[in-house]
Amino acid sequence: MVRNIVILGGNSHPVLTENICNILGLPVSNRTLSKFSVGETRCEIKDSVRGKDVFIIQSGGGSVNDHLMELCIMISACKIGSAKRVTAVLPLFPYSRQPDLPYNKAGAPLSKPPMEVPKDKYTFESVPATPAPGIVKSASFNKDTDLARALSRTSLTNGNGQAPVNGTPRSNGESSTSSDPPPNIMPLPARPGLTAMHTQSFTTHDLQNPALINTFQAKPGYKRWVAQAGTLVADLLTCAGADHVVALDLHDPQYQGFFDIPMDNLYGRPLLQRYIQQNIPDFRDAVIVSPDAGGAKRATAIADSLGMDFALIHKERRPTRITDRQNATMMLVGNVANRVCILIDDLVDTANTITRAAKLLRKERATVVYALITHGVFSGDAIQRINLSAIDKIVVTNSVPQDNHRRACPKLDVLDVSPIFAEAIRRIHHGESISVLFQYD
Amino acid sequence: MGDMANEIKLLSGNSHPVLASLVADRLGIELAKTLSLNYSNQETSVTIGESVRDEDVFILQSTAPGDINDGLMELLIMIHACRTASARRITAILPNFPYARQDKKDKSRAPISAKLIANMLQTAGCNHVITMDLHASQIQGFFNVPVDNLYAEPSVLRWIRENRGTEDVVIVSPDAGGAKRATAIADRLDRGFALIHKERPRPNVVGRMVLVGDVVGKVAILVDDMADTCGTLAKAAKTVKDHGAAEVIAIVTHGILSGDAINILNESCLSQIVVTNTVPLSDKVERCSKLRVIDVSPTLAEAIRRTHNGESVSFLFNHAPA
Repeated sequence: MVRNIVILGGNSHPVLTENICNILGLPVSNRTLSKFSVGETRCEIKDSVRGKDVFIIQSGGGSVNDHLMELCIMISACKIGSAKRVTAVLPLFPYSRQPDLPYNKAGAPLSKPPMEVPKDKYTFESVPATPAPGIVKSASFNKDTDLARALSRTSLTNGNGQAPVNGTPRSNGESSTSSDPPPNIMPLPARPGLTAMHTQSFTTHDLQNPALINTFQAKPGYKRWVAQAGTLVADLLTCAGADHVVALDLHDPQYQGFFDIPMDNLYGRPLLQRYIQQNIPDFRDAVIVSPDAGGAKRATAIADSLGMDFALIHKERRPTRITDRQNATMMLVGNVANRVCILIDDLVDTANTITRAAKLLRKERATVVYALITHGVFSGDAIQRINLSAIDKIVVTNSVPQDNHRRACPKLDVLDVSPIFAEAIRRIHHGESISVLFQYD
Repeated sequence: MGDMANEIKLLSGNSHPVLASLVADRLGIELAKTLSLNYSNQETSVTIGESVRDEDVFILQSTAPGDINDGLMELLIMIHACRTASARRITAILPNFPYARQDKKDKSRAPISAKLIANMLQTAGCNHVITMDLHASQIQGFFNVPVDNLYAEPSVLRWIRENRGTEDVVIVSPDAGGAKRATAIADRLDRGFALIHKERPRPNVVGRMVLVGDVVGKVAILVDDMADTCGTLAKAAKTVKDHGAAEVIAIVTHGILSGDAINILNESCLSQIVVTNTVPLSDKVERCSKLRVIDVSPTLAEAIRRTHNGESVSFLFNHAPA
C-alpha cells in the first residue's frame, strides 16, 4: 500500500492502468474524460489531488493527438488542483520516432515523387536544386535522364546526411514499380465542402485525393522536409505542467535530452531477454538479428548478455544487381543458415521492415524466425502482413493495447510491462533509485 | 519593395482550407506549399515545401467539429516547424479559438484548457495570435504575446442592413452573458433590445426561459458568439416567438453546429440562422435551407495585411472591409 499517491489513466490504455494499480494495491482514481459534442476533450478529476503525488498513465497508440491532448489537459488539471508533483507515464511515447523523412526508413513511404519532372518549370529565377530524387531539377539537368534515374535508385544520402526526402522506392522492394498510391497513406478524412481544387498550388486541402499527394512538390530550389515533432511534444508536456516523465524504450536515447525535467527511460530488454531464455528452446544456438543498422546496438546488447551470435540486416544497401527485385536493397551480414533467428527491434508500426527482414532470413535458410519487439503499434495492414509473412512468432509488450491485435494474429504473444511501470512508480514515489530497473541479469 | 525577405507567407492547416484560400485570394498571394497528413499510426506529419526563412508567417487553422485535437496538433507542429525553419515572426490565425469555453475553473479540479492552449501555442513558438469573437475576451490575458481579437460585428451589421433592413428589428440576447455583445449591436442599429434569462435549477439542465423586454410584432434577431448543439438557441427562439415576435432569426459568429444541430435548427421556429465562415460548414448549407453565411475573410485578410505592415488593426473593430 502506497499513500499520498494518485494514479490516473487516460483513455488510451485502461487495462494497463488497472494492472499497474493492482500491483501497487491502489484504486485507479476517478476522473471524467470524454469529449464535448464539438470534439473538444472534456476532463474532470473527481478525487482530490491536493498535495498528492500524481501519476498519469497514457500511451501513445490509437488516436495519438486525442490522447496527447487528454494527457496535457489532465496534467494541467492536476497542476491547477494543487498536486504536489505530476508524473506523466508514457509506455509508448508519441511522436518519438522523429521521422525526418516520410516514414520510408521504417517501411511506410508516404509519397513517391512524380516520375516525370515537368520541364517547363524552369524560369530565369530558378536555382539549381540540391540533387536528390524528386527534387525539381533545372532544365539542363533534366535532359540527363540516365543520371536522374541512377540517382533515384542509389542515392541514399546527400551532403547533409539526410536521405532523399521524397522517398523514392529505394528501400522498399515490394512497392518499387508502379504508380499506385503508396500503401500506408491514410489521407485525412475527406472534408466535405472543400470544393476548390487548386491544381497549381498544392496545399493541405488537396489531400482528399491521394493521387495529388504524389504530385506535391516543393518550390523549385527548396528541398522539402518533414517537421519533427519530438522537441515539441517534450515542450508541450513540460508546459502543461509535468514535473517528471517516464517512458519505455525510447526510439532515440537522445530524446531524454529534449526535456528540461527529469525523464526516466525504462527498458523492455529484461522482459525480452527473459522471454528468450524461457520460451525459445536451445536459445544459445539461435542468432539475434537486428533488422536495420539503427537497432544494432539494442540487439547486440541482448546478444552479448545472453552470449548469443549476432547478425545484422543492412536494409538500405545500394543495389549491385537488380535481378532479385524483392531483396535487392537488403543485405544480411552474418550467418543464419539452419539456425533459429530472433529479430529484435523497438517498434513495429506498419511491419514492413520486420516482414521483409524475415523474408530475407528465410531465404538465407533460417529455420525459425522469431520477432521480439517492445512496442507493437501495428498500424495500417500490419497484422495481415505479419500473418502472411515468414515470421513464426512475434512477441510484443502491452505498451499499447494488444487485445484486438491478438485476436487477429495467431502468431502474436504479449508480454506484460505493468510490473516494470508499477515498480518504477513505487520507486519514484518513495524517492528510491530506479537504476536497478536498468540492470538485467 | 526591394526587400525580398519578410513577405507574408500564409500557411493553411487542414481544418478550413476554403477560408485560407479566400484570405489568400484577398491578399493576392498563393498559399504556401505545405502538406499535412496522418501517418497510418495516426501521428500527424507536416511537410514544408518552401522556405520561410526570415518571412512573416501566418498560419490559419480553424476548428473542424469532431477534429479539434488533430487540428490543434497540426497547428502546433506547423508553428514549431516554422520556428525551427527560422521564420521571423509566426502568427497563428484562429478564427474560432479552440477550447474557448473551458476558460475558468468552474468546478474543483476542472482544467482551464483555454489557458493550456494559450501556453501550448506559445511553447510551440507562436509570436502573435489573431482570433475572432473570443468567447470571453479575458482569454487574451492567458497569453504573453499580442492577441488581436477581431469582431464579426461590423460584418454582421452590414448583413443586417443589407438583407433585413432595420425596420421593426429588436435585438435579443439568448442569455445574460451575451448581453453586452447584443446591446452593442442594438446601439449601433439604434434599435430596441431584449434579453432572455435562463433559470438553471440544476447544472446542465436548462430550466424555464424568461424574456425581459418587448418583442411583440417585431423581427427578433438573436445574437450570440457561437452556436454549438443549438439547443439553447432553439429554445430561445421559441420563447421569443411565444412572446409575440413576428419572425425570429439568429445571427451567430461561430457556427460550430455539431451533433444534431442541423435537425434542431430545421425543426425550430427560426426563419433564418446566419453564421460567419470562421468554422468550416461543409455540407451544412445544403442540409439546412435556413442557413446563411457571412464571409469574414476580408476582415482576416485586412488584419494580416495591417499586422504585416505594422499598421493599426483597431480600424477593423468598427469597419468591415468591403
